[in-house]
Amino acid sequence: MTVGSQSLIVRLLRHPSGLVGLLLIALAVGMALGAGFFFPAGPWTMAGPPRLWPGQNAAFLLGTDSLGRDLAAGLFHGSRVSLAVGASAAVVSILIGTVVGSLSGYYGGWLDDVLMRLTDAMQTIPSFLSAIAIVGIVGPSLPTIIFAIAIVSWPMIARLVRAEFLRLRTYDFVQSCRIIGMSDMRIIFTQILPNCLAPIIVASSVLVATAIIVEASLSFLGLGDPNAMSWGTILGNGRAALRTAWYMTAIPATALVLTVLALNLVGDALNDVLNPRLKERS
Amino acid sequence: MKKQLFQLDRRTFMAGLATSVALPGAIGLSAGSAFAEAQTPKRGGTLTTVAWPGTTYMNAAITTSGPESFLSPKFFDGLLGYDFGMVEKPALATEWSIAEDGKRVTFKLRPGVKWHDGEAFTSKDVAFTFMEVLKVHHGRGRSLFADLQAVETPDDLTAVFVLGKPAPAMLKALDGRESPILPAHIYAGTNIMENPANTKPIGTGAFRLASYERGASVVMERNPDYWDEGKPYLDRIILQYIPDASTRTAMLEAGQADIVFLNFLPALDTLRLAAMPDFELVEAGYETSASNQQMDFNLEREIFKDARVRHAIAHAIDRQWIVDNVWHGFGVAGASPLHHDQRAFYTTEGVPQYALDLAKAEALLDEAGHPRGANGVRFELTIDPTPYGDESLTAAEYIREQFRQIGIQLNIRTQDYAVFIKRCWTDRDFDLCLYTAAMGADPTIGVQRFYWSKNFKPGVAFSNGSSYSNPEVDALLEASQVELDPDKRREQFAKFQQIAMTDLPTLPVVHTTRATIGWQKVKDHTVDALGSLGNLANCWIDG
Repeated sequence: MTVGSQSLIVRLLRHPSGLVGLLLIALAVGMALGAGFFFPAGPWTMAGPPRLWPGQNAAFLLGTDSLGRDLAAGLFHGSRVSLAVGASAAVVSILIGTVVGSLSGYYGGWLDDVLMRLTDAMQTIPSFLSAIAIVGIVGPSLPTIIFAIAIVSWPMIARLVRAEFLRLRTYDFVQSCRIIGMSDMRIIFTQILPNCLAPIIVASSVLVATAIIVEASLSFLGLGDPNAMSWGTILGNGRAALRTAWYMTAIPATALVLTVLALNLVGDALNDVLNPRLKERS
Repeated sequence: MKKQLFQLDRRTFMAGLATSVALPGAIGLSAGSAFAEAQTPKRGGTLTTVAWPGTTYMNAAITTSGPESFLSPKFFDGLLGYDFGMVEKPALATEWSIAEDGKRVTFKLRPGVKWHDGEAFTSKDVAFTFMEVLKVHHGRGRSLFADLQAVETPDDLTAVFVLGKPAPAMLKALDGRESPILPAHIYAGTNIMENPANTKPIGTGAFRLASYERGASVVMERNPDYWDEGKPYLDRIILQYIPDASTRTAMLEAGQADIVFLNFLPALDTLRLAAMPDFELVEAGYETSASNQQMDFNLEREIFKDARVRHAIAHAIDRQWIVDNVWHGFGVAGASPLHHDQRAFYTTEGVPQYALDLAKAEALLDEAGHPRGANGVRFELTIDPTPYGDESLTAAEYIREQFRQIGIQLNIRTQDYAVFIKRCWTDRDFDLCLYTAAMGADPTIGVQRFYWSKNFKPGVAFSNGSSYSNPEVDALLEASQVELDPDKRREQFAKFQQIAMTDLPTLPVVHTTRATIGWQKVKDHTVDALGSLGNLANCWIDG
């Protein structure tokens, strides 16, 4: 299972869907990094005439929205918010999920029962509805949205990690660690966890994709942070003009579709690359 | 199949278009055409319309909410109707006169009017409705009729209103939407809010209830015994409740609905359809529900105690831009605390206006002692746009950009409706509050509440939210409440508009206008100030 990072990237690039996915993600990250350089005035400036179609004016390649804001600027700056929310929410839910899953899987017994019933309870709540409820109660701001998404998506990771721990804790190398008197925490974090990183990494790419979609859906419904322009915000703003100026929704929607597709492609490729049984195929 | 239907309709309409004075696409001009043509109405036919949200009751005597406002005038009549310009005209009352001192108003009632169940309508019904229902259960009626001490009924066809002091605004609030007359023989002695007739209306109106499916549809059928001979022309009105605005557009476009009232389509869809030859846009007929979008300055905040700051902010906001791009042309740039449909009183003469002038705004802020800091920011503010509709949030986004240019950092805070109301009018935890509110059929009913210092009542939504207090304004508003001479009243309101726009505790942003969009074949739906909020008795379908 010890795969050097160098060769992991190389093998991902050799994988066809991995290559496409990584290129698209690189593009999205590039947009986020270059947003300030290409559009220093920010996404909110009402720079041009409202409802300008793409290509109508060379200064606004992707056109303007109904308030005259440059859609290209929105798309670039929006990628910052969308990617940041996606990544942060994924990191937070992986942290929660890993801690719950590893404790539950390693110790078993009553702790396992308690934590798994909690996880079950969380999974019975429709995740998007509870995200809406959390944002509705606490009030829409980026930290709230990240928290809301994380809170509804950790159970999946917890179950995954628990399953891996249940399998690995019976292995001889874990038993030998116990015999030499290693502490539980050390066994969990230095011995077992590194061995179940592969499925976590694969799941995390899907998690980022889901988080981006949830954030976009919240913003589309008007529950996004009104002071942060994300792709979902542009989508929501364009909704009223769907029949007369469909490009306002089509442009951010395309960005969302491509990013989510890219993350899923990379997830698939990672699954292939990290799975030793499939090594020959990759 | 849909396409065929469409073409068939189109052919029929092309013939009609040849004689029509309406120019397709000429939005401003087409407003009058629905009622300008002197065609002979045809009897029969069904009018289908869509709306949202669904109704709770069928009469508007016990609630002020929107769905009931539309339904009530179809089933119930008021004492009066209103021609364009809110000029009183007969309805259940045929004559009315006001005593010298303004404290007695006598109504002569129309003879031979029957309730839907066959009982005769009398002055007892009028007395009961005002004293037991409107004074007690109606949101605006409670204050509007507060000085109504009794309704005397010397005979079956005479009702005399006895007032503690003159109430000129009252005469503008006697239509079937604002003050519908309920049957005393059904309601007297019962728990009015729980009476089953609230959803099975028995009125004197042009239409009777045929069926009602809660949250889905209301079907109304022609009242053959209606007092207005030969009317209504329609056999049936079907109202369907459709939650999604795009679906409503699609239904109108496909011919599944004939007409949509009260801006129930997205503005851009309305404009798109209005540009097609088969449809007609009418912006008249909403005089009783004139609304303003306005922004309250919280005068309890130290920074807003300086009028120069408020004036600077007014100079930074181009209200015409908001009309064009947020309301898509359905409105007029805010110029007065009143609404332009309050034609008798609205004026901009001698009323200070604040044209877009960023340099002047910056100068005023400098003068007020708020220089730009090292980062270019003078100070930070938060705005709370109402979550009711998108327009306030979108306007707030525009205002934030304008503020940025004069060095004010504006944060937008969104929340649900209940939290918004509580924050602005109960907790008073806001800087700027942006919302749309009804200005009423008369300024005393709808405008006074925002400027009268005695109406600074934390806990009461849409009261004096800025906590404005000016004794001169209070005196003018209180005098206009009881002034019977229309000219003196006009002067009082003119002076009020001048002072209010000078002090500027509240910035009028947009005087909104409402629109009806329908197929050309629907005729005469808007014949007076009440429009679709009247009884639709004159409406007919051509073809």
